[in-house]
Amino acid sequence: MSPRRLAALGLLLLPLVAGAAPKKLVLLFTGDNGGEIAPCG
Amino acid sequence: MPVLALDAGNALFKSLADGQDPTAKLRAGLLLEQLGAQGYTAMAVGQRDLVLGVDFLKKKTKGAKLKLLSANLVDAKGQRLFPASVVTTAGGLKVGIVGVSPASADPKVPAAGADGSAVLPAGIQGQPVQPAVAAEVKRLREKEQVDLVVVLAAVPYVEAVRLAQGADGVDFVVQSHDGRGVGMAQRQGVSTLVPPGERGRQVAKLEVSVEGTGPFTDLSESNRARESQKLVEANIARVSERLKAEKDEATRRSLQETLASFQARRDALARTAAATGPTVGRTYLLSYVQLGADVASDSAVQQQVERVEPPGSAGH
Repeated sequence: MSPRRLAALGLLLLPLVAGAAPKKLVLLFTGDNGGEIAPCG
Repeated sequence: MPVLALDAGNALFKSLADGQDPTAKLRAGLLLEQLGAQGYTAMAVGQRDLVLGVDFLKKKTKGAKLKLLSANLVDAKGQRLFPASVVTTAGGLKVGIVGVSPASADPKVPAAGADGSAVLPAGIQGQPVQPAVAAEVKRLREKEQVDLVVVLAAVPYVEAVRLAQGADGVDFVVQSHDGRGVGMAQRQGVSTLVPPGERGRQVAKLEVSVEGTGPFTDLSESNRARESQKLVEANIARVSERLKAEKDEATRRSLQETLASFQARRDALARTAAATGPTVGRTYLLSYVQLGADVASDSAVQQQVERVEPPGSAGH
């Protein structure tokens, strides 16, 4: 690929890289349920 | 936002003697079925999950999406009884989830388990926790190239603290064994220890944001600092008003000292808020969803629960 085309590709991809948002995730944890199936609050 | 649901273990039985209770097997079966139906990815195998043996657990989860994990439980021949980990992708993040169970205590030794081990049923051996976790985390980081490692630690608190302090490559350790309930996420050396709540009364919600590498920052510290800062600002305004109106010189001096102390506190809180509240990098925020009477029950699940524990029964 010529340097000019490479530079053009770089410019094209720049907004995608610059705008890359952080990856977000929600982790839900339970533990020590102790056989409970009808918790009373 | 994408969600991963995980259980840190000791979910199925009330106590080690629960095997004698005729409803215990029904409850445990219903819980495993519902963990799967509600989309849980994995659960660590704790001491109190082994009351009816390994075969019961395997039979109840055969073909299920829910994976029971333990990096250190082996049979009499030293063969691993459950997978050590599972890898899943959510929110564009490759997450490695490791399960770990207590190391075996010698039942003949007085105060067995005081060191963070636990007495396990005959034929089941719990190998030392830290080497088992370290080996699995190394494999996940090097071979699977995961972005995030969560250890579901169904081990006593003292063992979980040791694990969190020394487990390189682990982001979060979620501890379950002692029924400690809710609490704050605590940075312990290289990773963060998270309390998951207990007895189905709440769900711990950890909101994670990942950009780049490096240690995670607890956003709740800056949030707490900002909230406290607002309270201190209100106190400063009240004291300033009183100072304007006050004529007595001794009282004015006292108010000025109080004002100076509030202003120093406000400045310290502002520094905390600014220092620990990045909007980029790797951050987390822990909160709890309380599952009280105000949270509606699923009627189909409720019917199944009432078949095992009818309303008005001792357990309901």
